[in-house]
Amino acid sequence: MRYNEKQLQALSRQPAEMAAELGMRGPKKGSVVKRRLVKLVVNFLFYFRTDEAEPIGALVLEHCRVNREEPSGFSITFVEDTERKYHFQCCSENQCQEWIEALRRASYEFMRRSLVFYRNEIQKMTGKDPLEQFGISEETRFQLSSLKA
Amino acid sequence: MKLNERSVAHYALSDSPADHTGFLRTWGGPGTPPTPSGAGRRCWFVLKGNLLFSFESREGRAPLSLVVLEGCTVELAEAPVPEEFAFAIRFDAPGVRPHLLAADGPAAQEAWVKALSRASFGYMRLVVRELEGQLRDARQTLALHRRSSQKTGTSRYKPQAPDLCSPGLENGHFPSKDCSPVGMAEEGGSRPAGWALAEWEFQGPASLLLGRGQSPVSPETSCFSTLHDWYGQEIVELRRGWLQRARGGQAECEKKDRP
Repeated sequence: MRYNEKQLQALSRQPAEMAAELGMRGPKKGSVVKRRLVKLVVNFLFYFRTDEAEPIGALVLEHCRVNREEPSGFSITFVEDTERKYHFQCCSENQCQEWIEALRRASYEFMRRSLVFYRNEIQKMTGKDPLEQFGISEETRFQLSSLKA
Repeated sequence: MKLNERSVAHYALSDSPADHTGFLRTWGGPGTPPTPSGAGRRCWFVLKGNLLFSFESREGRAPLSLVVLEGCTVELAEAPVPEEFAFAIRFDAPGVRPHLLAADGPAAQEAWVKALSRASFGYMRLVVRELEGQLRDARQTLALHRRSSQKTGTSRYKPQAPDLCSPGLENGHFPSKDCSPVGMAEEGGSRPAGWALAEWEFQGPASLLLGRGQSPVSPETSCFSTLHDWYGQEIVELRRGWLQRARGGQAECEKKDRP
């Protein structure tokens, strides 16, 4: 699968929702915890060597699970292979909790579900479709049926 | 730069809803000349959220390419082949070549340009925040009215939006239907709104009472349509405000996108 590295690098320089130096261990056997600058930009989690400007890599946070790992850490797995875990070590329980919450809300799919939920609730209460003002009420991706996935 | 390609490819092929699909002609990609020429290549494109995937064919099982629709604008463009309905994804980042694509007809071209230009995470977030605010305001309006007309002092009103982060809701992926709070709503189509919804959805007094076919105010005020109109007026007022704020917000975003 081709993708444009320069474009992803540009994205990694955009303002972050969350950014911190965390311990990180990849899913490969024998991987060890390394210090990484971890940066959440939209639904991408970038990770950098602490002394480099360009990221080593990124995780696209769609169809993933974020789990707490003891002590004060969390892991990210993807539905496609739940055995492959990306481990992260935080400095404190608080920091860990903040990251978990931010990551669970970071996907586009989460936003889409929130949107459909709010739309439905508002429509129930007011009898009007709040998406009409945006001119996107007809879009299939915002219909209730799109929740059936 | 590494990317969790396998899980991204899995997401591309999963049955979560696609935002737009169709055949497009494409020019570019590694190994092709920097200036698009010739007939290009016809591929199947799938837009999911802010990710645009291309496949060899409709049945293709491995994405050929991924374009992330962030920090870009979508404009009509001229294709090397005159009869094509071309458009380009242009990136703000220096040194990133624009992505030239072409649809089969003007309708498809328009639909693609529309879908792609609204695909960014920021746009989605803007709409979600807007609706979040609208729901909060609508709940407050209902609760206020209920309190003033009932004067009982007790209120089950809770101002906060339902906790969307409840167990089972993780990053848009629901392991099973049973623990999907929002997923319950899909059953609402065939029956009155508010019926048979998950318990936590009954947080606001309005959904609680309206869902049972009762008036949200005192039992005497039983004419729903009167109430509905009454609330409607306030909502119209509020929406006018929201619209203005939304426009302001959008303008700000655009400013931010193009410094």
